[in-house]
Amino acid sequence: MEFDLKTIEALAPDQASLSAASKLTKRSNWPRLERNEQQALIWGECQGSGSNPYRVVVDTGDHGYKCTCPSRKFPCKHTLALMWIAATAPASFAPAQSTPEWVNDWLGRRRKTTPQTAGPVLPGAAAKSIDDALQPDEAAVVEDAAAVERREAAQRKRAQETRSAVSAALDELDQWIADQLRLGLSGFVDASSERCRRIAARLVDLKATALAGRIDEIPSRLMALRSEERPDAAIRELGKLVLLAKAWRSEPDDPELKRLVSTSETREQILANPEARQVESHWEVLGEKIETRRDGLVSHSTWLLDLNSVTPQFALLLDYFPASAGRRSNAFAPGDRFNARLVFYPSRTPLRALVAERIGDVSSGAAWPDFGALKDPLAARASQQDGAPWLTDSPLILPPGAISLDDRGTAWWQAADDPHGIALPIAGAVDQTLLGIDLAAAAALWNGARLDLLAAQSRFGRLDLS
Amino acid sequence: MNELEQTGLAAMRDCWITGGPTFDLAPAAWKEIAGTASPDERERRLLAIAAQALDIGLRPAVPKVLKRRPPLPALALPMLPERLRPLLRAALKQAADARRKVRVVTLVASRGFVLHPMDWMPAASDQNSPDVYAPWIDWQAGLEGQVHAPREKLTAENWDDFYPAARRIALADMRRIEPAAARMLIETKGSSEPAEVRLALIELMRFGLTLEDAPFLKSLSTDRSGKVRELAGRLLARLGEHGQLGDGGADDPVAELAAFISEGKSGFIRRRTTYTPAKLKSPAQEQRRAELFETCNLVDLAARFGATEPEFIGAWQFGADNNADILIARMVAASGSDAAVTHMADTLVADGGKPALFVLHLMPRLDSRRKRTLIRLILKDWKYLGALNLAEGIEASWLEWDDLTNGQVLPALRSVIGATDDAMRRGLDDILETMGFLTTTATAARLIDEVVAAGMPPAAPSLALLRLNAALAEHPSGTDT
Repeated sequence: MEFDLKTIEALAPDQASLSAASKLTKRSNWPRLERNEQQALIWGECQGSGSNPYRVVVDTGDHGYKCTCPSRKFPCKHTLALMWIAATAPASFAPAQSTPEWVNDWLGRRRKTTPQTAGPVLPGAAAKSIDDALQPDEAAVVEDAAAVERREAAQRKRAQETRSAVSAALDELDQWIADQLRLGLSGFVDASSERCRRIAARLVDLKATALAGRIDEIPSRLMALRSEERPDAAIRELGKLVLLAKAWRSEPDDPELKRLVSTSETREQILANPEARQVESHWEVLGEKIETRRDGLVSHSTWLLDLNSVTPQFALLLDYFPASAGRRSNAFAPGDRFNARLVFYPSRTPLRALVAERIGDVSSGAAWPDFGALKDPLAARASQQDGAPWLTDSPLILPPGAISLDDRGTAWWQAADDPHGIALPIAGAVDQTLLGIDLAAAAALWNGARLDLLAAQSRFGRLDLS
Repeated sequence: MNELEQTGLAAMRDCWITGGPTFDLAPAAWKEIAGTASPDERERRLLAIAAQALDIGLRPAVPKVLKRRPPLPALALPMLPERLRPLLRAALKQAADARRKVRVVTLVASRGFVLHPMDWMPAASDQNSPDVYAPWIDWQAGLEGQVHAPREKLTAENWDDFYPAARRIALADMRRIEPAAARMLIETKGSSEPAEVRLALIELMRFGLTLEDAPFLKSLSTDRSGKVRELAGRLLARLGEHGQLGDGGADDPVAELAAFISEGKSGFIRRRTTYTPAKLKSPAQEQRRAELFETCNLVDLAARFGATEPEFIGAWQFGADNNADILIARMVAASGSDAAVTHMADTLVADGGKPALFVLHLMPRLDSRRKRTLIRLILKDWKYLGALNLAEGIEASWLEWDDLTNGQVLPALRSVIGATDDAMRRGLDDILETMGFLTTTATAARLIDEVVAAGMPPAAPSLALLRLNAALAEHPSGTDT
């Protein structure tokens, strides 16, 4: 290891980064720490504030680095923390003979530069100090009882104000929906982009931020369908908004509804919530969806399948980051399997989760568990909608089937043993090779109109379809 | 959802599309839920019910026609082990074009594996990928029905049971073992095939070509297709049959081509005949000469000078005109006899230097030993390393470490690693990719160590094929699939 604290101090962009990094040097933040001395590399996975871990690699020779976090500070706190651990606890890094694919990917793309050294401290620039970073946070100083009471009162007041604002937002939404019905859904479909943008902006003003983001995405979901399907899709989208608004009004403190309407809990709140469901199991990464939203955020969804469950159980690791942060490396590769304890966000149908503890990797490549006879592939959807009819996407495991094309070239999944029974249209184009492969099972998202394939099992092994 | 509800929903849907209240159109049970609320609230409630009805109560209508493709056939080799697929995908990503991708595929096949169909599929028109992929080529060609891969010998009776790629491979094999039987089949069945297929069938006659094939090839001089007639003429030329002995007049292309070549003498004691390309005066002449080299056959040209093919090639003054050298090399490859091809290859390789590179044009007609000799020769001189990428039809996975250390390839590679010049980097990448195809497993692993020690990042994309090559050693065929 070729780090000392002085080097880290010099590389840090500012004192705040050093302070933040010092909090991440706990071993528990790093499910994986490895090194390859031959290549002078250290790397690790840091469980940051997002659902997906951040992957960090540092070249100990020239101090080059890469982190998958969206920070605009270079190096970021995760990189500094990795260097810090290397300097103070090098034994934490397990020796590795080979480098993971994501490290190889970075090595392949980077151009070696001269070793990075600290630049001169500019006049007026704040000095950085490791010692200061190790000092206890001033904010952590114990407050007196009166201060606690004042803070909590302020919090209650803010919560009340938010609730009032959201309630007003939902009133406006109700009126807007009634207006769309009165004016006609034909016109709504044609002008959905402007109309949705206007109400979404209004909802943001009234603190219904999550709901605004959802409405902003309605136009793109409608446009993904054939024109004759769009009115039905508009009925589904708007009807679900009505249900969500009604549910929130009846239970405004319900964590799931608050999450869908205004804001989500923090990672710390979820981990500290004793009622949050925890599942330790072997998980397979089914696939990832990275979509740039209209509000300027990129949503990064990683879908996991519980390999130890007797019925199909999924988990969704969901992160948002600004599109302006640029393309972000994927945290997992489809097909990866790992042993981990996940904590689910409290919900009627728990799906969104966080990786609380990554216990280790599991060898990949084997088939999925046999989930028994899945007679109706949409039964899971119906069950989910019974509990939470406002949800749009449902993960499914489809029984044996195959992909066919209709006379307009749209791909359909069709059950193998029931050629005249259910068939579900697939979103987007499919690889033509897939048309010749029988699928023993497939994992997909169903949104009421289209299947979004994630992965499948076949006699050719696992097929990555995301 | 019952029928009344479905009818009500359809009416409400139509009403909402144009705009307006739907309460009166709603099914009775739904009206009850909508209750006595305000008109707007009633509409919202009905909308919520309709949304759930559409989501849960109705299923997508299955189209009347859903067209399935026949199942993708299994191949005769096992699939590449799952854990090697990331290495394979990296190598395919690095391979810039279809030709290079086929090299990756060929390397993997040489180690006893086929690729996963989602990683790579041959094109329907593919004729370069390993034979094992023939069933997939036929599948890609869109042939309906269960792809048939008969195990019995190809005959006139079961001709139609074989799809084109499988038939082509069966015929090529038959030409090597029973050339006369294969010729009979081509003769019998080929005439009813379209010109494009006929051309591909006649092309197979190059395997095991003998004088016994001459009568059939001569009979093709009346074929409907000009391309077939031309190909048959070239194959006849390879057998030493003259096809274009004209009257020597202005319309005789061989005579016209001969005019572009100067006959001379050299040597003081033993006077030897030499053939040197004449100096050209204009691009138009250059173009005309190229056309003539392409259309004339070597045997006719040599005869024009009263020489045999080997005599003509032996007397050709390589090095005098690079373009003419390339043209004569292509002519030899296309229409030269086997003796002329081997004579040219052996002579130029023995002499070494730049003219040996013209033998690259003869690669498709050289035997394995001669191909390897040429590659080893190229590896000895760093100036010509770039020419390796032009080599066609070479086998995978035979180059040993000694072959690299005998020449200048290692010092040359070391010297360009870390170069900032883009052209040099691209050249290095190309050579490493070619090495990834040619080397044995042990040599690939050793070469990776060598270039990494010289400063190349271990995970550099240009090492992708070498890494795959080295990793394939751990997976002998038939295991860990």
